[in-house]
Amino acid sequence: MAKRGITALTICSTAFITLGRAQASALGRPNLPIAVIAHPFGLRSRDEVRQMAETCVDDVANLVSKGGPA
Amino acid sequence: MSAIPSGAVNVLAGDERAAQIEAPDDLDAINKLYRERRWSDGLPVVPPTAARVDRMLRCTRRARDEIVAKVAPGFGAATIERIAINAVLAGCDAEYLPLLIAAVDAVAAPEFNLQGIQATTNPVAIWIIVNGPVARRLEINGTFNCIGEGAWANATIGRALRLILRNVGGALPGDMDRATQGSPGKYTFCCAENEDANPWQPLHVERGFAPGCSTVTVVGAEGTMNMNSHCKDGPELLRVIADTMIHPPSNEYTHGGEPWIMIGPEHAEILQHAGLSKADVKQNLWELSKMPARCQSAKDLARTRDSRTQELGDIGPDTLLPISQRPEDIGIIVAGGPGTHSVYVPCFGNSYAVTREITAAE
Repeated sequence: MAKRGITALTICSTAFITLGRAQASALGRPNLPIAVIAHPFGLRSRDEVRQMAETCVDDVANLVSKGGPA
Repeated sequence: MSAIPSGAVNVLAGDERAAQIEAPDDLDAINKLYRERRWSDGLPVVPPTAARVDRMLRCTRRARDEIVAKVAPGFGAATIERIAINAVLAGCDAEYLPLLIAAVDAVAAPEFNLQGIQATTNPVAIWIIVNGPVARRLEINGTFNCIGEGAWANATIGRALRLILRNVGGALPGDMDRATQGSPGKYTFCCAENEDANPWQPLHVERGFAPGCSTVTVVGAEGTMNMNSHCKDGPELLRVIADTMIHPPSNEYTHGGEPWIMIGPEHAEILQHAGLSKADVKQNLWELSKMPARCQSAKDLARTRDSRTQELGDIGPDTLLPISQRPEDIGIIVAGGPGTHSVYVPCFGNSYAVTREITAAE
């Protein structure tokens, strides 16, 4: 999407950050913004997930603005 | 000794030749190097010297620099040369190279979903099935212990593909390969169909190729579940096979997959004597293996609804989930030697098998 000029970022959990960074690099976007959140989600309640979202929403917004179109 | 590195993702995304490195003329030292650089699957390798790679390349007419596929998830370029290098590493005979080239082309087909297979937490391995005259010519085992150890071609062809997936595709465990446990099939998983013992059409003919063609088929296989049944009644045999296929924590029921059955020759004979065609076997297994959605955990049922509502409509606890979208999506080969065993091979779910012809031009 970033290559098509659409602002893009990836949100991934800590367990997948290595994959996310390596793949972004392999696809020619080494600086693709990646927001990292705690892993796993499995035992978290809906409220806990909502709390996690609220704590990182500003960071996500900042990454979007930094990422911008390709 | 001069050895050629096996592929290094991100460095070799184009068709550039593999660089040569100088290494001591010592097998232990070469293996130490490969171990340190993570260029092996954990087993000792055959050093890919320039002479060995050149010898391998004499078995193809294709250009050394030709790119067969970009291999996910790192999208390294699988050139003919890099395929040959990894074939040497795995211990392949040079005559195996055309088959391996066709297998690399097959795994890169979009419907195979190599990206998902390589990067998933699922244990999925790639099962290579060989059909046609090439199986006999290369002595690829389709009889006794055909997915066990002992046959040079089975062992090294499967291993070579795995090395390509790692060294060119970049799927290193814990990095881009996120498999939670993985499976032994990720070392090697290759066999021929036992066409002589198959009462029906062999796999490649069923998939549209002429009987005299040689083909390679790749399957995203989760593992193997043996089914030992002394049953002599066709319909009853199908019932116990279908009961084995039913397992609630399954990608197949969640997404609608492509399960495979490796039917042993004795079981195939029983089914044929019952008057069942291969299509009949698939239809019966599809019906008999339907699973009530309530067997799944609540969380998995929610995932099934996300994945299959468009296909099945509203899914409630009493909905009978088919294991695949259509009966014909169940894959069947006849393989193995004498004995009362067949094997259920559950699949990754979001993947469809791909067959490629192994041509003289390869």
